[in-house]
Amino acid sequence: MLRTTTSPIFSSFTSKPRTSRLIFKAFNVILEDTPPSARRNASTNLTTLHQGPPTSAYVHLPFCRKRCHYCDFPILALGSSVSNAPYEEKQEDDPRITNYVNLLVREINATRTCFDTNPNLKTVFFGGGTPSLVPPKLVSLVLETLSSRFGLCPDAEISMEMDPGTFGGEKLKELMDLGVNRVSLGVQAFQEELLKACGRAHGVTEVYEAIEIVRACGVENWSMDLISSLPHQTLEMWEESLRLAIESQPSHVSVYDLQVEQGTKFGNVYTPGKSPLPSETQSAEFYKTASSMLRGAGYEHYEVSSYSKDEGFKCKHNLIYWGNKPFYAFGLGSASYVGGLRFSRPRRLKEYTNYVADLENGAANWCGDGNVDLKDVATDIIMLSFRTSKGLEVKEFGEAFGRKVVNSICKVYEPYVESGHIVCLDDMRREVMSDEFKKLVGDDEVKIEDHVRYLRLRDPDGFLLSNELISLAFGVISP
Amino acid sequence: MGSMYRASKTLKSSRQALTLLFNPVKSIGRDPSCSGLHQAYGFSSDSKQNSREPAIDLTQFPSEKIRNFSIIAHIDHGKSTLADRLMELTGTIKKGHGQPQYLDKLQVERERGITVKAQTATMFYENKVKDQEASAFLLNLIDTPGHVDFSYEVSRSLSACQGALLVVDAAQGVQAQTVANFYLAFEANLTIVPVINKIDQPTADPDRVKAQLKSMFDLDTDEVLLVSAKTGLGLEHVLPAVIERIPPPPGISDSPLRMLLFDSFFNEYKGVVCYVSVVDGMLTKGDKVSFAATGQSYEVLDVGIMHPELTSTGMLLTGQVGYIVTGMRTTKEARIGDTIYRTKTTVEPLPGFKPVRHMVFSGVYPADGSDFEALTHAIEKLTCNDASVSVAKETSAALGMGFRCGFLGLLHMDVFHQRLEQEYGTQVISTIPTVPYTFEYSDGSKLQVQNPAALPSNPKYRVTASWEPTVIATIILPSEYVGAVINLCSDRRGQQLEYTFIDAQRVFLKYQLPLREIVVDFYDELKSITSGYASFDYEDAEYQKSDLVKLDILLNGQAVDALATIVHNQKAYRVGKELVEKLKNFIERQMFEVMIQAAIGSKIIARDTISAMRKNVLAKCYGGDITRKKKLLEKQKEGKKRMKRVGSVDIPHEAFQQILKVS
Repeated sequence: MLRTTTSPIFSSFTSKPRTSRLIFKAFNVILEDTPPSARRNASTNLTTLHQGPPTSAYVHLPFCRKRCHYCDFPILALGSSVSNAPYEEKQEDDPRITNYVNLLVREINATRTCFDTNPNLKTVFFGGGTPSLVPPKLVSLVLETLSSRFGLCPDAEISMEMDPGTFGGEKLKELMDLGVNRVSLGVQAFQEELLKACGRAHGVTEVYEAIEIVRACGVENWSMDLISSLPHQTLEMWEESLRLAIESQPSHVSVYDLQVEQGTKFGNVYTPGKSPLPSETQSAEFYKTASSMLRGAGYEHYEVSSYSKDEGFKCKHNLIYWGNKPFYAFGLGSASYVGGLRFSRPRRLKEYTNYVADLENGAANWCGDGNVDLKDVATDIIMLSFRTSKGLEVKEFGEAFGRKVVNSICKVYEPYVESGHIVCLDDMRREVMSDEFKKLVGDDEVKIEDHVRYLRLRDPDGFLLSNELISLAFGVISP
Repeated sequence: MGSMYRASKTLKSSRQALTLLFNPVKSIGRDPSCSGLHQAYGFSSDSKQNSREPAIDLTQFPSEKIRNFSIIAHIDHGKSTLADRLMELTGTIKKGHGQPQYLDKLQVERERGITVKAQTATMFYENKVKDQEASAFLLNLIDTPGHVDFSYEVSRSLSACQGALLVVDAAQGVQAQTVANFYLAFEANLTIVPVINKIDQPTADPDRVKAQLKSMFDLDTDEVLLVSAKTGLGLEHVLPAVIERIPPPPGISDSPLRMLLFDSFFNEYKGVVCYVSVVDGMLTKGDKVSFAATGQSYEVLDVGIMHPELTSTGMLLTGQVGYIVTGMRTTKEARIGDTIYRTKTTVEPLPGFKPVRHMVFSGVYPADGSDFEALTHAIEKLTCNDASVSVAKETSAALGMGFRCGFLGLLHMDVFHQRLEQEYGTQVISTIPTVPYTFEYSDGSKLQVQNPAALPSNPKYRVTASWEPTVIATIILPSEYVGAVINLCSDRRGQQLEYTFIDAQRVFLKYQLPLREIVVDFYDELKSITSGYASFDYEDAEYQKSDLVKLDILLNGQAVDALATIVHNQKAYRVGKELVEKLKNFIERQMFEVMIQAAIGSKIIARDTISAMRKNVLAKCYGGDITRKKKLLEKQKEGKKRMKRVGSVDIPHEAFQQILKVS
């Protein structure tokens, strides 16, 4: 058992929430003019979202054939012997995979929560690593375990990251039969030299093959991942990748700007903004190009790096993250958010194994007790909602954290509304012009949230500077 | 070898630093009172007083048995060592600091600079002249700071003396500070006793130095003493020379009491301790005395000599130098140079000193705006013991609330900043040092400017004239560097006053230079072009008429007050261009394009732009792990705290520091 006592704290969905205790823990200044009704209305308040039981689970399947040069995720490289093989056979008996999945299953089974209700999971995301390297039989075991432990909605979104060259039609079919209904295909680039330069285990041929397999299997909801700002990448190459991506007609595209992380091969060799990496200006140009080409092709740019064909193809699992809602996570190095606690599991297999053992005998603490620092919650919400095109819901935010914060944030953002980096929208999502916004901010009598319902970053200029803009709001919340 | 660079060492052994060294560096930050610093001192002197019986009888020393002298020298020419040796020789301190008893009592003081205390000290010396009976003398060694910044203090210390030992290094010969100090002593009518020190060195060349002393100062080479303070060689001739050559103090013992207040410091237990020199008459414990300048009266609670620590004697007689304690609350009541006399008598006040002239001003701001209180506190405590800094609150649009501080000179300013940071942990931004200018307008009004930002950029009336302070600089250097140094001086708008050879290798240059031209990097530049072989010193000279303009720096059209400077018209373009370039390097890209301009009035003389930041985007929050990205954002937020915002432009603290440092 994780908790020795069943604390009344977890009665948040009953009529007597425990918000007052939370709210006065921190944030007393900002919260002083919060209407009492907002505090009482715990079940819908942003400040209590994390208290509910999660309906999403992230499952980390860390296996890769080899590590990509930019990658700093917790992965387990299987080596080249796997890569040449007919996938279905060889991986079937790789004890490293089997052992890991068994451990993962133990973790899921050992996961006890104290929620009054245990709603079925609505989304499951198999991330990696390269989850498509895992034999369907083992994926099935994981899904069964999740299902018996938490329950699984019949229409749950079950995503899996898959890399070209690691699956064939048969395997994909098998996975689909198990319930996998969303594929995230790690294409990254359409240029042989770029794939090679970033140490991908596949070439362009495998990319086309994979796309063909996904389409032939009739996966309706599939996403293509692309990386911009790769070394030696030119604007022409990037435009070509985007064009080919659009031609492949995925229902979703994720475009990631290359992050050069310390400790990776790239980190050792390259400096961001310096050749052969594109300059800051070029890299911004890549981002803008992606935004305009993909939007031109009918994709909605609904999150900093995500595009979807229509509402139904937005990644529901990721929306949980952006909505600051709770989610489980299982597996090596994975991060969960339950009971207000963001918890990352050990990134090394040995420590993770110990963690699972601790979990089984009740010694591991991965689940929060619902107590949170409200400033943390507020900054999380700012950071996450500004990633989305929906933006920050001003009214809701004000109700949760006080009108003063909203006013201060609006003041800080005023010049950026004027410069067009930030967009203000009314409740009909009509844009509130900057001069009107200025008036609203300047007038102490006016309740801004009556006129401005959403604040969001403009695509692409605001998105491009999201760090700057978000950190400004952070400065307001915790100076 | 450079005087200013090394000067901080002089400072340590100087009287100015008395306060500095009495203030144990470590305890300052913790001690809430202004001067808990003197605790150790107070304790030791009290215990000393109790343990050292019988008390010293000063009546045995009438004026003719007293000599008041100081030691003046260029940095590192051996002033401190010589002072130590003389005190050892007279038993004022024990040789090698080896006496366990002494150490036990005064370990703290020793660690914190016994030399300092010991150097303004009373010594007793039995002088044996051939065939005559030995006779006891009371010798007051009055310490002086070596550096020009403190020349006003040198003068005031010298005014309590009748003679000075002019110490010159046997290998290095006459240096810039030697010259400056010589003239200060000479102007104070002191008898100069030339001493060539370090004659034991292999490179010593006393004959060459003697020739320099002759040619530079017209000193009689036969009268030069040759010593090695290190080995003790020739040391025995020093005090007899002091007694023979330096006249006794001239005061009149049966006149009413007149004392010169020449220094003060704060002691937690005793309160303000005043260093005095009795010019006429005598003083006894319990006397009521008045201070001419402040009109305040006090009772003398304690009186004594520095032997070397405060030692009560119950009295001070004509010509003697010692301390008094009156229960004064702050050193501000003790105006240096004031005349102290017996209450209800009438005396002619002593000439006193010129009031402190603040020649270098700079704004001091907390690096983090929220630290203003901490800075206020630190400055209050610092100035409590260093009244020579002038402090006035000022506000800058760019830097927030801060202080405009006036300093005696560059070194003084550096020391002040250093102490703020080191002793109080206060991170400060200081604005470009400036000098006091005078502007005259067409309506006849005049404006004194200590802060360039205070000078209107577009004044109502036309500026008809402007004046700036100048200095007379002394530079002594090996002759091969003369060309480069002359170029430097003329680039700095200097006017050559003198160019002479001290001997075959060394040249003596005298320049009148605008103070503004030397306040920032002149000395560094001088050192670099002469490979460190030039020595430099300067003294204040008169104001000169100059074509001065205010140079504004604008960011997106808004003037940044903290970056405003006053420059000579001819240099405005160059300075403006340099400042704009530097700013461009230090200001990071912003969300908007930033235009940097340098302007005189409404005329833009230099401009550049920093293009807008293009991309600063959040990476993928993989698998919902947002903690790393959040840390990044928190860091970025913290980074913004280190920014000063002018209009919509964020300027990092470092930019101010760097720009202000190098301009």
